[in-house]
Amino acid sequence: MMVCQVKIRKWALSLFFCLGTLFSASAQDFRFTTNVSSTRVAQDEPFQLQFLLENASNISSFQPPSFNDFEVLQGPSQMQGTSIVNGRRSDYLALIYVLQPKRVGNFTLAGATARVNGENKRSNPVTIEVIKSAHGAASAPSQPPVSQQPFPPRRSSPDDEYTEGILRKGEDVNAKLRKNIFLKVDVDKTNLYEGEQLTATYKLYTRLPTNSSVTRVPAFKGFSAKDIELPNPPQASTERLNGQLFKVFTIRKTLLFPLQSGALELDPVEVDNQVRLVKMVHNNQKRSRDPFEDIFNDPGFKDPFNDPFFDDFFNRPEVSYEDVPYKIQSTPVKITVKPLPADLKPASFNGAVGNFNMTAAIDKTNLSTDDALTLKITVSGQGNVNLMNMPKVDIPNSFEKYDPKVTDNIEKNSNPLSGSRQYEIALMPLEAGDQTIPPVEFSYFDPVAHAYKTIKSEPFNIHVTAGKQNKRDKQDFSVDKNVLIPVHRAPQHWTKDSGYLLGSLWYWILLALPLLALVLGIIYRKRLTYQQNNMALLKHRYANKAALKRLELAARYLKEGKDHAFYEETSRAVWGYLSHKLQIPFADLNKELIQSKLSSRHINGTNTQQLFELLDNCEMALYAPAQSNDKMQGTYQQAVKVISQLEDELKTKQPVV
Amino acid sequence: MSTVRHIILLLLLGCGALHAADLTPQQRFDKANNLYQQNQYSDAARIYQGLIDDGYTLENLYFNAGNAYYKSNRTGQAIYNYEKALLRNPDNRSVAHNLALANQRVQGFTDELPLLFFQKWWIQWEHLHSPNGWTTGSLVLFWLLIGGILAYLLVSRLNNGIMRIVISVVGVCFCLYLFMSVFTYTAAHSHETGIVMSSGIKAKAAPDQNGKDLFELNEGMKVQVLDATAEFCKVQLSDGKTGWVACDEVKRL
Repeated sequence: MMVCQVKIRKWALSLFFCLGTLFSASAQDFRFTTNVSSTRVAQDEPFQLQFLLENASNISSFQPPSFNDFEVLQGPSQMQGTSIVNGRRSDYLALIYVLQPKRVGNFTLAGATARVNGENKRSNPVTIEVIKSAHGAASAPSQPPVSQQPFPPRRSSPDDEYTEGILRKGEDVNAKLRKNIFLKVDVDKTNLYEGEQLTATYKLYTRLPTNSSVTRVPAFKGFSAKDIELPNPPQASTERLNGQLFKVFTIRKTLLFPLQSGALELDPVEVDNQVRLVKMVHNNQKRSRDPFEDIFNDPGFKDPFNDPFFDDFFNRPEVSYEDVPYKIQSTPVKITVKPLPADLKPASFNGAVGNFNMTAAIDKTNLSTDDALTLKITVSGQGNVNLMNMPKVDIPNSFEKYDPKVTDNIEKNSNPLSGSRQYEIALMPLEAGDQTIPPVEFSYFDPVAHAYKTIKSEPFNIHVTAGKQNKRDKQDFSVDKNVLIPVHRAPQHWTKDSGYLLGSLWYWILLALPLLALVLGIIYRKRLTYQQNNMALLKHRYANKAALKRLELAARYLKEGKDHAFYEETSRAVWGYLSHKLQIPFADLNKELIQSKLSSRHINGTNTQQLFELLDNCEMALYAPAQSNDKMQGTYQQAVKVISQLEDELKTKQPVV
Repeated sequence: MSTVRHIILLLLLGCGALHAADLTPQQRFDKANNLYQQNQYSDAARIYQGLIDDGYTLENLYFNAGNAYYKSNRTGQAIYNYEKALLRNPDNRSVAHNLALANQRVQGFTDELPLLFFQKWWIQWEHLHSPNGWTTGSLVLFWLLIGGILAYLLVSRLNNGIMRIVISVVGVCFCLYLFMSVFTYTAAHSHETGIVMSSGIKAKAAPDQNGKDLFELNEGMKVQVLDATAEFCKVQLSDGKTGWVACDEVKRL
């Protein structure tokens, strides 16, 4: 059993070995070398030792050799990069140590071991010859070895920061500051659509030690801004600009969404700097300048101001430092914002720009009017999530709609801004029956494709049953309560509005007509009663006329000589006259009555006598004819005279009734 | 095939629109009803409005116009037409229902106080006859009255106490009818109520464009017009607030 296991292990190992060699062969010229800056060094002289792994992939461990005879001043520092030599690209990883020999003599440093691709590799060993120090050993032991020992110049090192911090003689301070400290605004685009994202980064570039504070931050007028959180305290990175290395501090990084179209401007940022410049003092002139530089070149002094050594160094009388105030401002950046294309803009578009996805769902499809359902709309994607409006949903009238609950889930420090926004709308069914919520539609503008895109959900069919309603609901939840009663389609009786009768002339005419009739009726009635009351009066009034008519007839008979007819007519005229005048019926007439009637009217004397004479004459002539023509003439004259006289008297003397 | 039919239909409709004046009111009414059925509410509303403008002031026409306006989201016009229909017949249940629905759309709508029993009785009494009905009634009664008086005067057989009672009853009825006729006439011509026709109108403290804003009026609100200058009307809301607005914004019933 054991044997078997061992065999398997051996087999596996050999297999791995084979594979390893295969892989190493296939990799591009893997090399693992040890280099030294110098193989012959003085005893107090530091030197550099570099282990270089070229084209190594998957390095899992690294083991340096033992540095028994050397003191490690610094290291290991790691350097990684790519070099292209003669068109061949190679990746390298270098581990650098700075060593100082302890003793004089020949020393061999064994190679370092590294595990590459699961395989142990060893670099070549190097031999170092250490000779006696040229300066003599007098100064060396009294001082800390690090501070005083100048390193060999390493100009190619990436860490040559703050070398400009020394103000050389004759240099202009302002020019120097301008050259070495400035602000820069990076924008990823300057021409974009309304609502499209823009990333603006405000950076401080410096090659000088400085204590800076931001005094004015941009307001971003016309934009909606969302800041990306920056590490605190600010972390510097390095950037090479025109062949010079700068330390770069990011002051502000903001995601901007233009809210309006047109030419907009990013406000400048203002930074107050206190630049610490080192000034050379005259009595220090004789000192070589190299050591200073080398000291500043030391990669260990990442933060020279906090280093006690630094202060110690600068407080020495030979140099002085100065804090120079320097205010800088970034240049404003012009941004051109294009309006979103107006044509083809979908009706459901309400400002989302980016790349989105939308889902809509309801939590139940079967419920009663006592219950409520939730419509959940989630919009997720990249773009102006923070500015998004709710997609329009046409909730039918048969639902009571409550204000949506909005939940934002925006990824922190995402660039481009991405995340999701969720709307939860509670809906209360008001009517029983099968209801349909129309599809939720969401449109956005895709700035990459320069086109509007619309996402549409499925319509939701909901079956609502009548629930146990409380008393309030009796009316509200009845079917068709919230449905408009449809139009009346029955034929109508089409009459135009004829205006108001009351205001028309006809009304008043029709009202006046019966009034007129009434007036006429009243007049007629009055006349009627008058006539009824005065029939006798009328007869009396016409008595004279009737008598005269009779007398005219009598006059004719007189001419014709008909004496009998003449007397008859004359007596009738007189008797008729008296009958009418005195209002005595014709049959009742006699002389006594006439006498009394006339005397009651105070008519006496000659008239009455003549009247009775005339009446006697007539009677006599009637019963004893053969009267002469003259006599007839005299009788006629007498009759006319009597009647007219009597008429006059009766007129003046009204009867006393 | 169906597209061809559609085109023909459209042409017919176009011709119909051209010769709208030639159609009988009933045909126009039916056309509007069909448009309403096809959800072309704005077109339907236009035809109904045309009929109303031509002087046909039927209760059902106002009702249908209100529906069409409601469906085309012109709440102010819808409420105006429903109110017009209600003025003609306050007992019309369907108008009251649809008016209540339309009022739900009015922002800041405050319901009017329910009427007291005698107010209801009065309204029922008022609508016993149409205004012209009252007037015609008064005319007929007047003729009867005069005829009675004449008969009483001229026919001696009718000249008795019973006739006198009959005449006085007819006289009282005539006075009542005349009063109601004048009342309905003045009520119809006073235009004391109006409907606000657009939203977001600021009621001012004085009849002046620069007056202080008091409150806001929204489309469909029913207001009482208390006073008016040439341009401004003093309106009162059902909750008692008063303010001045431009008269153009209020369509009087």
